[in-house]
Amino acid sequence: MTTTDLAGASVRSTPPPDAGPATGRSAAGLLRPYLPGFATVVVFQVIGAIAGLAPLLAVVELGRVLLSSGPVDHGHVWFVVVAGAVGLFVRLLFTAASSGIGHVLDSRVQLTFRRQLAARLGRVPIGWFSRRRTGELAKVVGEDVGAVHPFIAHAPAELVSAFVVPLVSLVYLFTVDWRLTLITLVPVVLAVALVPLMTTPTRRREQEEFDGAMGRISSSVVEFVQGIAVVKAFGGSGRAHRRFLTAADDFVGVFFRWVRGVSGIAAGMQLALSPPFVLLVVLIGGAALITDGGLAPADLLPFLLLGLGLTAPVAALGHGFDDLQAARRAVGRIRDVLQVPPLPEPAHPVAPRGHRVELRDVRFGYSDDHEVLRGIDLVLDPGTVTAIVGPSGSGKSTLVRLLPRFFDPTRGSVALGGVDLRELDSRELYRTVSFVFQDVRLLRASVADNIALAVPDADLDDVVRAARLADIHDRILALPRGYETVLGDEAGLSGGEAQRISLARALLADAPVLVLDEATAFADPRTEQAVRRALATQAGERTILVIAHRLETVADADTVVVLENGRIAERGKPAELLAQDGKFAAFWRSRRSAIADGTGTRGVPRGDELR
Amino acid sequence: MIRMLLRVLGREYTRPMRRTVALMAVTAIAEGLSYALLVPVLRALFGSNPGDARPWLAAFGAAVAVYAVLRYRSDLSGFRVGATLLRGLYHRFGNHLARLPIGRYSAGRVGEVSVMAGRGLLQAMGVAAHLLAPFISACVTPLTIVVVMLAFDWRMGLAASVAVPVVAAIQHRTGRSMAAVDAERAERDHEATARVVEYLQAQPVLRAGGRTAERFRLLDDSLLAVERASHRTILSALPGAVALTLAVQAMFTVLLVLGAHLALGGNIGAAEVLTFLVLAARCADPLLSLSDLGGRLRSARSVLARLDTVLGTEPLPEAREPIRPEGHDVEFDSVSFRHGDRTVVDDVSLSVPEGQRLAVVGPSGAGKSTLLQLLARFYDVDAGAVRVGGVDVRDIDGEVLMAQIAIVFQEVYLFDGTIEENVRLGRPDAADAEVRAAAAAAQLDEVVERLPGGWSTKVGEGGALLSGGERQRVSIARALLKNAPIVLLDEVTSALDPVNETAVHEGIERLMRGRTVVMVAHRLRTVQRADRVAFLDGGRIVEQGSHDELLRRGGRYADFWDISMAG
Ligand SMILES: Nc1ncnc2c1ncn2[C@@H]1O[C@H](COP(=O)(O)OP(=O)(O)O)[C@@H](O)[C@H]1O
Ligand SMILES: Nc1ncnc2c1ncn2[C@@H]1O[C@H](COP(=O)(O)OP(=O)(O)O)[C@@H](O)[C@H]1O
Ligand SMILES: [Mg+2]
Ligand SMILES: [Mg+2]
Repeated sequence: MTTTDLAGASVRSTPPPDAGPATGRSAAGLLRPYLPGFATVVVFQVIGAIAGLAPLLAVVELGRVLLSSGPVDHGHVWFVVVAGAVGLFVRLLFTAASSGIGHVLDSRVQLTFRRQLAARLGRVPIGWFSRRRTGELAKVVGEDVGAVHPFIAHAPAELVSAFVVPLVSLVYLFTVDWRLTLITLVPVVLAVALVPLMTTPTRRREQEEFDGAMGRISSSVVEFVQGIAVVKAFGGSGRAHRRFLTAADDFVGVFFRWVRGVSGIAAGMQLALSPPFVLLVVLIGGAALITDGGLAPADLLPFLLLGLGLTAPVAALGHGFDDLQAARRAVGRIRDVLQVPPLPEPAHPVAPRGHRVELRDVRFGYSDDHEVLRGIDLVLDPGTVTAIVGPSGSGKSTLVRLLPRFFDPTRGSVALGGVDLRELDSRELYRTVSFVFQDVRLLRASVADNIALAVPDADLDDVVRAARLADIHDRILALPRGYETVLGDEAGLSGGEAQRISLARALLADAPVLVLDEATAFADPRTEQAVRRALATQAGERTILVIAHRLETVADADTVVVLENGRIAERGKPAELLAQDGKFAAFWRSRRSAIADGTGTRGVPRGDELR
Repeated sequence: MIRMLLRVLGREYTRPMRRTVALMAVTAIAEGLSYALLVPVLRALFGSNPGDARPWLAAFGAAVAVYAVLRYRSDLSGFRVGATLLRGLYHRFGNHLARLPIGRYSAGRVGEVSVMAGRGLLQAMGVAAHLLAPFISACVTPLTIVVVMLAFDWRMGLAASVAVPVVAAIQHRTGRSMAAVDAERAERDHEATARVVEYLQAQPVLRAGGRTAERFRLLDDSLLAVERASHRTILSALPGAVALTLAVQAMFTVLLVLGAHLALGGNIGAAEVLTFLVLAARCADPLLSLSDLGGRLRSARSVLARLDTVLGTEPLPEAREPIRPEGHDVEFDSVSFRHGDRTVVDDVSLSVPEGQRLAVVGPSGAGKSTLLQLLARFYDVDAGAVRVGGVDVRDIDGEVLMAQIAIVFQEVYLFDGTIEENVRLGRPDAADAEVRAAAAAAQLDEVVERLPGGWSTKVGEGGALLSGGERQRVSIARALLKNAPIVLLDEVTSALDPVNETAVHEGIERLMRGRTVVMVAHRLRTVQRADRVAFLDGGRIVEQGSHDELLRRGGRYADFWDISMAG
């Protein structure tokens, strides 16, 4: 089929856009490469649409010949008939090609938009996400890009058939009889008079509410599915998924109001433009002009055939109006996302010297009115293990999030190998530091891919080695397809197992700096012990930062830092801190007292030896 | 199509829907019939005595007026029915989803469900509001016109009616051949949506792994697959559209030729021929719009089919005559449960008398969480029975069972909203004092005091704006507030520091006195206060007894305790 070839010539399926130059492009800029394609669509459509007039004109001409008094020229009649048939064929060819190309172009453009959005979303500051709902963003990438469809696939064709054809017809009809042309325009004028009623500020506000309500449905449905366990456990008579139902009711409410406001007008407009009504108007006018105005009966024919076409622009406006409006608003939302400034990358990245991590007087808050970290000074020397302990909410995870630059400190600096993170190439940074975050996140991909997340080209032996170190290898072998099992689709894992996969992930990355945020919270004592031993053998030149609540985990660290309310309350070797009898010692005691009030007397805590 | 729509909608919409469809069909017939009057009108106008047209013209005017009334009413009725349907659909869909077994919710489902709830339902509703009327009119009006032609001139009428079976056959074939492509396309759409959600939510992990959009193939592949699928759809729709256009145009050409031939032979009046050609043009336009309408109807139908599948999926079977449990004791009777081929719970028998506490201990992956989920009937057992108050959970009404049980999950999920809203989800009508008591027991009061937003602090989607320990405390308070007689706690203090952990457990103990409690814990000091301890490994109970008994026995449990102590 020629359509695809034509489209293919102008737009080769491009690889995912390179992050660099593409990011600055606007929505319009993105469309530029497709302009030749659009031009083809429009030209083909024009040719097809005009050729489509041929059969109608053939009927008109036939009428003239048949109704004229005098002998009928057979040759002329057959010429007219053939011309009409040829016109039809040309129309078929060109409109089919145009619509094919238009749709192919459309899906290309959608792909480009989606890739661009994905690329941008992968570079905006992480903090930006926490204020947004996943469902709404996903809707921008999915549905909103899809809503651009009428703009691209239909607009050229519709605009042509809505304006070029009527224009040509109008000119032709005027040459036939200007009075009847004006009469033929009456239904159009009636319909146009109704258009302003559909675009009042109220209508427009309703449209916006409509979109807002739809967005809320999208986001509540993501919550609905992901929080389904909670929905079930607390969902007595629909309480927990009420958010979804409320969003739906809001939406339907807006829709109802909109329907009530618009449906009467829309139906009236449809009526004014309907063929029977237009024909009636033309016939009444025609009858009057034929009886009293000297209109040749044959001249009525073009009005009966072409007159209906004059309503097309208004019909298109009425019918395609909603779609086009919706598309415009969708483009607005897409542009909003594309315009979010990405996390700035240094123009001249500096290479780090070594991998000592230094935090100097770091202050940070998620919002201006609440500081979470209040002046942290901390040095992580290569080859040492630093443990952070502290009450929940004291800022431990926040501190860890500054290292991958999920957030930049509001004051002070975080440096790696003597270079501020903001001057470091982000790839270099991610190569140097690997993380196990507190919130485990596995991808719906094979176990091997999950473990090799940061090292996509790792071979299976390395993956297996990391899995063994994280004490999860045996469990993986028990999965239906071992390392090839797709998590989430083919099998699920328990909380502790998932944690160990993400630990294996960090171990495989083999980065000189390893950060573990409560990495074994779900692990049973035996697993925890195994993991700790594995880490100990890994240590060597590595810099390790662990956050843990179990003091057994912390006891082996070179340095313990007690974080309290965003400040470092104590630091030192574990044994020294216990001897000091400060916060750390108090933590330790609270745990011991909990044990002591039981009746079990086996296994005197060896921690006491630290004293 | 309409049958499926009706099935998806439920019975209460059958009548308004039928009425609307009937109204639309009558309107279309009225349109076609009104054209019959064009014949005498034009015959008069093209003839020697144009004045004769007047009465016929008046008749045509009256017919158009009838058509106008019908059309207006059927348009409005379409809109109304559409909007009413939408509301019913959303509720039906939402309530049904909430009742589906949890096993149906894998990560990939997010895409399908959100596409369905968004564009999908709207599209299904659009069938009634926007598509049905033009579609019915595009089918019925030309048919009526053909009948009118037959009535006036059998030769022209016959030529026109040849097109009817051809067009019908083409539509039918296109519909059939497109079904697979459409389904595939919907599939790709869902997959891509699920990937986008995953991509957005996994940003921290992806970035730390150096995987931005360019290097996250899974997402790009799914986007590319959407493009491919939509290409395939276009390519497979094209032949149908071209064939339809060809058939319609061939009909028009045949009528043109036949008309010219008959007129030249003097077998038919010029006025008649011309009128028929005007009518033929009236036939052609709606028929040509069929391919576009058909496409849109088809995609609406594929959405409906999916909805139909989802709504047709049985929720966990409900007991025909539910039994109300009397007590609040809990019993596992030789329970086995499998995830796929893997036996996760293997012949477990356990019982917890009312008001007692059972601690479940064991390595991760032993099946502890699964045990709690079976108790809450998130899944049904494969063998044996789980009983609450002596009644098999399968014989208890779902809502009644849920009212008996408060759960704190291992993986905390909070809904986007404030801390207070999330806690109150436990029991919306709870008094403020009760909310405060639950918060105090869960050590949440400390959090509320510390955060600048207090009770109205936003927790973010899933609870992402809180620290792990804060989130956990919100979910504990939520469960405590529920005040249910049976409490299930799954590693509920894993993200808490020792001081808070001790305090939370004391709080739970205080507030949950007299309740039946099943808790999973790794930190043995939380366990030692339980009345009984069960040690689970590989889905089997290895040891069972009180903390002291088990320690004295020196078995697996005692080993665990030693390791935990030894560091
Ligand atoms: N994304 C966020 N937006 C706003 N506030 C946050 C965010 N993440 C954490 N916080 C708040 O910052 C404080 C410190 O959290 P975090 O560092 O996670 O504590 P923890 O020491 O338990 O790891 C908490 O009070 C928490 O509510
Ligand atoms: N959706 C699932 N599909 C297949 N296997 C699962 C699924 N969920 C859990 N499992 C497996 O069931 C076993 C028990 O899981 P779980 O009850 O969560 O363990 P835990 O004792 O750590 O709470 C684990 O081996 C886990 O891998
Ligand atoms: Mg934390
Ligand atoms: Mg578990």
